Amino acid sequence: MADYEPAIIAFVCNWCTYTAADLAGTSRLVQPPNVRMIRMMCTGMVDPKYIIKALLEGADAVLVSGCHPGDCHYINGNLKARRRMKLLKEILPKFGFDERRLKMTWIGASEGIDFAETVRQMTAEVKALGQNDLRTRMVL
Amino acid sequence: METKTGSALVIGAGISGIRSALDLAEMNYRVFLIDKSPHIGGILSQLDYQFPTDHCGMCKMLPTIGRDASSQFCLRKGLFHENIEVLPGTEMTALEGEPGNFRVTLDSAPSFIDAQKCIGCGRCSAVCPVEVPDQFNGGLTKRKAVYLPVPHNIPNRFMIDIAACTRCAECEKVCPTGAIDLRTEARRAFRILVVDDELVVRDSLKEWLVVEGFSVDMAASGAEAIDLFSSNDYGLVLLDVKMPGMDGVEALQIIREIKPDLPVLMMTAYATVETAVQAMKIGADDYLMKPFDIEALVAKVVQQYERTVTVKGRVIEVGAVIMAAGSDFCDPARTPGAFGYNLPNVVTGLQFERLLSGAGPGAGKLIRPSDGRPLRKIAFLQCIGSRDLKQKADYCSSVCCMFSIKEALLAKAKSGGEADAAIFYMDMRTFGKDFQRYRDLAEKESGVRFIRSRVHTIDPDADGSLRLHYVDGEGGQHEEVFDMVVLAAGQRPNRGTRDLAQSAGIELNPAGFCLTDELFQNRSSREGVFAGGSFAGLRDISESVIQAGSASLGASKLIRSKGGAPRASERTGAALQDVSKELPSLAVALCACASSLRGGLDLESFGKSLTLWDPSIRVFQIERVCTLSGRKSLLENMRESGCNMISIGACMPCLYGKMLVELAKETGLSAGLMDVVDIYTPAFRGDRTDPRQISGRIESALKMSIGRLKSADPGPTRSLSIIRKALVIGGGISGMTAALAIADHGFHVDMIEKDVDPGGLVRSLYRTIEGTETSGLIEKLISDVRANTNISVHTEAEVVDSKPYEGLSFLTTIKTKDGGEKRLDHGVTILATGGKEATTREYCYGMSESVITLHELEAHLGKSAGAAEPPGSVAMIQCVGSREEGRNYCSRVCCSSALKNALRLKKENPKADLFIFYRDIMTYGFLEAYYTKARQEGIIFIRYSPEAKPDVSIADGGKVRISARDPILGRDIVLEPDLLVLSTGVVPNDLNGLGQVFGFEVNEDGFFREAEYKWQPVNSKKRGIFACGLAHSPRSISEAIAMAQAAAQRALVMLNREEIEAGAVVARVRRSLCSLCERCIAACPYGARSRSEEKDIIEIDELACQGCGACAAVCPNSASVVRGFSDRQVMAMVDAALELT
Ligand code: FES
Repeated sequence: MADYEPAIIAFVCNWCTYTAADLAGTSRLVQPPNVRMIRMMCTGMVDPKYIIKALLEGADAVLVSGCHPGDCHYINGNLKARRRMKLLKEILPKFGFDERRLKMTWIGASEGIDFAETVRQMTAEVKALGQNDLRTRMVL
Repeated sequence: METKTGSALVIGAGISGIRSALDLAEMNYRVFLIDKSPHIGGILSQLDYQFPTDHCGMCKMLPTIGRDASSQFCLRKGLFHENIEVLPGTEMTALEGEPGNFRVTLDSAPSFIDAQKCIGCGRCSAVCPVEVPDQFNGGLTKRKAVYLPVPHNIPNRFMIDIAACTRCAECEKVCPTGAIDLRTEARRAFRILVVDDELVVRDSLKEWLVVEGFSVDMAASGAEAIDLFSSNDYGLVLLDVKMPGMDGVEALQIIREIKPDLPVLMMTAYATVETAVQAMKIGADDYLMKPFDIEALVAKVVQQYERTVTVKGRVIEVGAVIMAAGSDFCDPARTPGAFGYNLPNVVTGLQFERLLSGAGPGAGKLIRPSDGRPLRKIAFLQCIGSRDLKQKADYCSSVCCMFSIKEALLAKAKSGGEADAAIFYMDMRTFGKDFQRYRDLAEKESGVRFIRSRVHTIDPDADGSLRLHYVDGEGGQHEEVFDMVVLAAGQRPNRGTRDLAQSAGIELNPAGFCLTDELFQNRSSREGVFAGGSFAGLRDISESVIQAGSASLGASKLIRSKGGAPRASERTGAALQDVSKELPSLAVALCACASSLRGGLDLESFGKSLTLWDPSIRVFQIERVCTLSGRKSLLENMRESGCNMISIGACMPCLYGKMLVELAKETGLSAGLMDVVDIYTPAFRGDRTDPRQISGRIESALKMSIGRLKSADPGPTRSLSIIRKALVIGGGISGMTAALAIADHGFHVDMIEKDVDPGGLVRSLYRTIEGTETSGLIEKLISDVRANTNISVHTEAEVVDSKPYEGLSFLTTIKTKDGGEKRLDHGVTILATGGKEATTREYCYGMSESVITLHELEAHLGKSAGAAEPPGSVAMIQCVGSREEGRNYCSRVCCSSALKNALRLKKENPKADLFIFYRDIMTYGFLEAYYTKARQEGIIFIRYSPEAKPDVSIADGGKVRISARDPILGRDIVLEPDLLVLSTGVVPNDLNGLGQVFGFEVNEDGFFREAEYKWQPVNSKKRGIFACGLAHSPRSISEAIAMAQAAAQRALVMLNREEIEAGAVVARVRRSLCSLCERCIAACPYGARSRSEEKDIIEIDELACQGCGACAAVCPNSASVVRGFSDRQVMAMVDAALELT
């Protein structure tokens, strides 16, 4: 299973990371094939249940990425998200997931390169972790 | 010709122009926003990070109410608003007519690439053989002659830099859509006549110009030229001044008779420059100096040629014009000495900013361009080309101090704290709100070094490092080596300001910026033409945004007074069909451009697999959806299919915002039932990407969109209204200005003043630094306020409490002077409660009559005007109790007030000795000239540090004695002045009570805290509540006026509409699930939620709600739902996303 392409769901905020991802795309930065972007207005609206759902459905990892602290279009949605993700990481093992399958980052609108780099790195990390076994079980 | 009532032209699409354009568009006026550059954003498109968050945040300027009329994505990428026509690459060439009825001529730059056809694929750039420095990266990198002016724009279309282009036409050949037309034919058709008696000159000119693609004829004499001239049609004549027989001037006269409009360039040797200049008076267009500088010559010829191909003469009619053409930076290379700018590794602040940028030359890594070494020691040199009499820049650029501190901090952050940053400065001008704390944190927490010194020599070391030699404040010599030197290049008027001013018919000030009224700085010298942003001179972002608001207020008031009405708002919401009872019927439109141009994308098979997945879906292909014809065919297909939801697979979704709004109007389907998916970007193959993965990506993107649409809530948006009246609290300059601004737009204002008479703090100031008596201003404002029937003034009154009223308005109770209570209903509130001079116990204040405060001196000077004996010696101490913990901010006005008073005292008694003890002299902007003047007049400035303040004691008989250290003399001094004046600074009036009543936060210094320092400087976080004047931050009279106007402008955006449409993406509550736990109320950052006691439900203020979803994420029962992002929709997207991986 070493050479599988991890499926990553990325919840990105409309104002910063989505723009960065777009920039990465239009600047032709090579990206791993299995990243699926879900545009949210703000990371503050990312309900933990979406993440758990994604993992239960077999996503190998989930990325939540928004504006830098102090920069959220809605004042502090990203800080709320940060708190939420921290707690979620603590309980993920109870659902049988490695907490490293969830990652939160700040990527500003002009940081297309950072976006590509984050996704690339994350893909490598998740590859090392191996497939979400829920998925293998389901496939089987 | 296009005619418009209620319309305005905004020149310059930088932040200030965007702000003004949005202001007027939000008021439902029609706006033309032009910029001579090919993109919007101005200088900010190059700056990724801004103080104080050290990030961006520009998007916060976008409308918060009625926001669906404008774009909802990163503002640096682009902007649309249904009331704004954005015209990049356009200049104004004439402005005729009267205020209220201007006729404007617009010319647009020739374009060699058809924007309708360009798909931004970049093949042209790949084959272009020309490389020139990329201005976007400050010249640190190279770009092609066919290039993207800004890498992140949407839509991003390639441009041709025709000056650099060699017309090899390679790009024309590879362009897959035939968008490029270099018009080589047009060049060849442009015939140039070269007239010179010397063969070598003629020949070499011909050679150069033919290489440039022009056709050239030659004549050896004036007579020969006239001959040729009569039988040929020339586009340009190059005419030598000195020729035997008929000389150039004579020939020119004849040419002018035959062809009065034909461009003629005179050619002259140095000896005959005078004649050439003379020739320009009789109609030559320009002159060229021999020996020729080929580049300059070609540029001038190309310029003439371009005039013939510019798209000329679109004429529009507007009521008012706002000039927001911005400013530029000085070019250190062109200054004497150049501060080492010719050396490698000496860059300007702007270039450094590009080095820091992720999209810049180092991809955000902090490395030295010369050798790729990580930057570890960086020196910032302040005041390059500012505060410099030799360069005729007797002004402070106002922005560089904070700019450099920010860059130093970013360098620290990017290097993980490893880089050392030292700022060499004269005065650290931290005069704005919270600037001082930012500086202190930079110094104390991040270790940025602040060195007060002027670097006199920069020597390069062998490895490219730079050795700086400088003298410290006490005269000590130092030397230090840095990896890089960053020059804080000062501000200059933008190139082309002079021409622009000429076509606008406005005057410029001696520094070359727009000449404005002293107190009302939004007024230019021509009525109806307003000055916004840094075009009005030296402003940072926050002040530019305020100035922009003030300019748009001026414009809207004028438009209104001349009968221009806001455009009647179409209620799109009402016109939309209600599909909530229909079965979902979904169509997918695929833009064929992705398949034909990308090659290999099999749209057919996508269609098949989608219909296989869900047979009810209809799929059709559209040829280039983004074009007009594409849209038409989309509309037809949609009508035919009878779908009530559509997912459009095309390119960048942001691009389609405007189209969806229009489609919604045409089809009657809410934009919430349409979605655009990017199937274009995933179609780019990386080196190893498997085609199956590409189609997987695209298919899943489409399925995600379908999933999201199917669970969409199809209900229409709501139209809301507020009581169209305003409450203004405070009757000082700010309050009165704001009240008048609103009342002049025809809305009722209640103005509350706690004193017997309006007037406020300005009453204790007698003159401005320019010498204008303030009493005139106050009297005028008071009489205007009293005469205005729309304003009710309540003096000696106080606010008791304020409550929500009739849904979205307020009911405020005030205590009146007779002790009774009165209730006032209003939709918006402006807090302009003002400030006062701070009190002090320092420096023996109160112990002698000879120690007074600045305002006491003002009172004295105001009254005595020549009566009493002027004092023989006066000392002033600045920053009393300010800029140190306790009151760690600069009061902004004390330095200029001290200078004003000192100059006045000096005038009354030229023999008087004047001493000013200061920490940093804060004469920002044009105030610097008074500092220069004061020094010339012999006023003595003695610097002190907060650690070693001057020591004041009172001798018997009340005589003041000051002992201090003079760093320039390097020794202790003792002064015994007749008078000691303390600049104690400004504090706000107590706001805590009011802040609570209106839910406006108050900062640690007691000022109102704005929603966002830079982008929303007058807003509170709560809807409909604004602050201005000293209640917000210390400011001068003209600055307070501008801010009051900006606040009134924001308020008017709400008042000006009968109905305001709520956003499509707003939260709602599913009552059956709600347990009234109130967590959502706490989570909402806008205070948009409240619990209605009588109905016992959670209510949502849909105007305040911005759709951020914080409420939905905290709701334990999923009762709180954001439209467009409901759980069902997100879950459907997750499902679809994982299906194919
Ligand atoms: S908008 Fe980007 S995180 Fe809130």
